[in-house]
Amino acid sequence: MFLKNFFTPVKTLEPEEVKNYIAQHPEGTYALIDVRQPGEYEKEHLPGARLIPLPDLGDSLDSLDPEKPTMVY
Amino acid sequence: MAAQFLSGRGFKEVYSLEGGIKAWQGIKAVGPVELNLDLIRGDESPAEMIETAYGMEGALGNYYQIASEEVKDAEVASLLKKLRDIEKRHQQLLMDQYGKLNTPDFEGPQVLVDLLPPILEGGFRFSEFLNQNKAAMETVSGVLDVAMMVETQALDLYLRFGRKTTEESTQKILHKIADEEKAHLEALGKLRDKESIADLRGQGSPYPPIPKNNI
Repeated sequence: MFLKNFFTPVKTLEPEEVKNYIAQHPEGTYALIDVRQPGEYEKEHLPGARLIPLPDLGDSLDSLDPEKPTMVY
Repeated sequence: MAAQFLSGRGFKEVYSLEGGIKAWQGIKAVGPVELNLDLIRGDESPAEMIETAYGMEGALGNYYQIASEEVKDAEVASLLKKLRDIEKRHQQLLMDQYGKLNTPDFEGPQVLVDLLPPILEGGFRFSEFLNQNKAAMETVSGVLDVAMMVETQALDLYLRFGRKTTEESTQKILHKIADEEKAHLEALGKLRDKESIADLRGQGSPYPPIPKNNI
């Protein structure tokens, strides 16, 4: 399982692509997640991003929809 | 790393933002997750949520109105009036949503007239906001910067409202409002980009044509 996770390819999107994606897709059809620490989020974050610090991500899976496109930073 | 984690947990479509937030070219929201969340309880009905949003949009519209009367520069005053009209249009869209709810005691816009709170869209307190942004409101670019900052905070707040909200139908309303804010923000961004102003004309923009030498 660990190896599988480690080698799962993940696509990256350029900031401009993320911007366009957000502009073109209705809210509720995708997730935008900020995995940094609360202090970093407070200082600045992408509008509408949901804060789930990396250490909490595993416990938050139930509140996320694996079917929805999910963007993380 | 987070993206790989999710991808490995069965998430079908996961993307990582290249360069992280530092690479983001656009306005960012500020403040902790709970900022201004005390403005709602979380169990509001769609009608109640529309009333709250209507009030905040109206309060911002009033602010633009007052600022347009106070400012000396005619160009800036005209922009502020346009921003006021946009808030009015947002209010109209909210009224349309309200009308669709088939609320039994729906009596029309007059019900909401008395609801204008001292909280502006985005959760800003009227007097603080007035003091903090007075200097910026003297120029066209300053006004646009303030307007974009407000809309960014508003977009962020409506979506945080959405996550606090327990009612699914209310959440949908908030998502709709947020989509409106996104469109508004995009139009403001284009307006702010001087090079794009000419392109804005005649392309179905919600903004009236602006003479090129005006900004």
